[in-house]
Amino acid sequence: MREQPSERIAGDAIKAWQLTAHLVALIPLVLGIAAIIASNYFDFISYWIGIGLLIFTVIEWIITAFVIPNLRWKRWRYQIYDQEIYIQHGIIIVTRTVVPMIRVQHVDTEQGPILKKYRLSTLQISTAATKHEIPALLEEEAANLRDQISELARVEQDDV
Amino acid sequence: MSEPKRLHPVSVVFSIIQTIRKSIFSFLPIIILALGNGEWLYIAIGAVIFAAIIIIVSILSWFRYTYQLEEDQIRIEQGILVRKKRTISKHRIQSIDLTQNIIHRIFGLTKVQIETAGSDHKIDASLHAVTMEEGKIVHDQLKYNKKIISQDMDTEEEESQTVTEKVYPYEKISPKALFIAGSTSGGFGIILGLFGLAFSELETFIPDHLYTQASDWIFSQALQVLIILAVITLIILWGLGILATIIQHWDFTITRYEKELFITRGLLEKKQSTIPLKRIQAVGMKESIIRQPLGYATMYVEIASGEIGQNAETHTLLYPLIKKNQAREFLAKLLPEYEYTQEKWTKLPKRALPYYLLRNTIFPLLATIAVFIFFREWIIVPLAAVVLAGILGYFQYKTIGYRLEGENLLIRNRLLGRDTVLVKHKRLQSFQKKQHILHKKQHLATLDTAILSKFVGRHLVIRELELKDLDTIADWYSYRD
Repeated sequence: MREQPSERIAGDAIKAWQLTAHLVALIPLVLGIAAIIASNYFDFISYWIGIGLLIFTVIEWIITAFVIPNLRWKRWRYQIYDQEIYIQHGIIIVTRTVVPMIRVQHVDTEQGPILKKYRLSTLQISTAATKHEIPALLEEEAANLRDQISELARVEQDDV
Repeated sequence: MSEPKRLHPVSVVFSIIQTIRKSIFSFLPIIILALGNGEWLYIAIGAVIFAAIIIIVSILSWFRYTYQLEEDQIRIEQGILVRKKRTISKHRIQSIDLTQNIIHRIFGLTKVQIETAGSDHKIDASLHAVTMEEGKIVHDQLKYNKKIISQDMDTEEEESQTVTEKVYPYEKISPKALFIAGSTSGGFGIILGLFGLAFSELETFIPDHLYTQASDWIFSQALQVLIILAVITLIILWGLGILATIIQHWDFTITRYEKELFITRGLLEKKQSTIPLKRIQAVGMKESIIRQPLGYATMYVEIASGEIGQNAETHTLLYPLIKKNQAREFLAKLLPEYEYTQEKWTKLPKRALPYYLLRNTIFPLLATIAVFIFFREWIIVPLAAVVLAGILGYFQYKTIGYRLEGENLLIRNRLLGRDTVLVKHKRLQSFQKKQHILHKKQHLATLDTAILSKFVGRHLVIRELELKDLDTIADWYSYRD
């Protein structure tokens, strides 16, 4: 646990996260515009609500779309050994996780519409008590890893 | 091997009681509505019909419920219209427990609970009422000629299987220990009550100068009565707590068999439970803040599955009260797999203390600021909270530590009471190291590892551990060479 893991996740992860951030930012944007329009018609709605929402939108958008994805990508690393899976993530609090192969109960890959656009998918690793994720791997790579891990994890397990 | 048998007829009573208890709430609104309209006749008729249906259904289902013991399995058939046949193989049975409540005991009956290894509890079976001898026959039949199947279970302890008539180590609680357990159990509430009492007593002195002599006399008189009443209530509550513990844990006996721990307990309701060793995920020792200064502790285990939803406790009680210095012998005798030595704990570095103080006092500090701004005369309350939280933080820092012994990891932690957990390497599901930028500068890190406990994870966390120590544990944990 002294060295960080060697592999990085796919570079397109940044684009996928940015796209998600753009879409999420639309919600307060629409609300803000709606509030400003509404303040023209109703006296009890101050136009400051709309302006506040718009300022919030801009700040949130800059942070989640331009600052976080890069930092997050730089931090995200993983490495698959024969005996264990080693993951590192976290921007402010850096977490390094070790999951032994013999504790792995099942492995899944998951792909939402945004990840699909960039041909990426997320690898989920479950033990009896915990769940771990490697987000945004290239599709083939995730599938390969899934098969590789489930192969390695296929050791005889005693009760949990 | 034997012909199909029915349960004891008393089981009809059980199923009637159970059905009524289950359905009473869904009928309550209708009853209340009808009562509001004063339609007594309809309620009476409805109740009679309802009761008749329940009784008929219960009798029929008793009539249609049969069980049959065979060579190495039990076959259960049930259902009035839809017949359900279930065969449970002896190989799959994890535990068979005989439990008697008061009604059982009046008629000399017992309930037989059969648990299988699967995590699906619908597979498990229970015979609600059979005679005591019958229950024992079922138990012995399904349990004690296991020799044929031992190869697909653990292989390590096979040789000890051959001796069946051996005396197994056991531990039984004394009434005195039980009394102590009861009197220290609800401890925190009692102390809180005593604090409240002391406080209200102080109050009686304050108005002395403010009121006239006469009204003051009456007032303090009333208050004294109140205080006496409060004391009596507290004592009664305390006594009830003791009584409940004694009834629940009377004759608490834990016995170690080859592959399982077996617990019997109870004064009115006799309960048995079996803990298969394979299911044990960790062993723990809890010392509440009342028991710790007296040198007492409670032993518990974390198990992989269990009666989920049946009891609110997250872990399974192993022994209600034990002298702390005897815990080691207790484990050596009953769970030698979890024996530990008395080495020194590795504690937290001094650099960790500020984190603990800050984490505990941050909210009371914020509250203090708020109170200072808005109600300055009450400033003493949040300040006291800050001091108490700080003291707690200091004791948390002092308590927390770890120890590595062979394949065992011992972690000692404190939320309020002290909790020592002993877990095997192979039971740790994952291992995490967390650091933020300050931690990195100070060479500290937080350890977070998870074990399985009743289908969910329990995280064992040590915050602000020395980085070197954490890396030592990580190396111990890693499967890589």
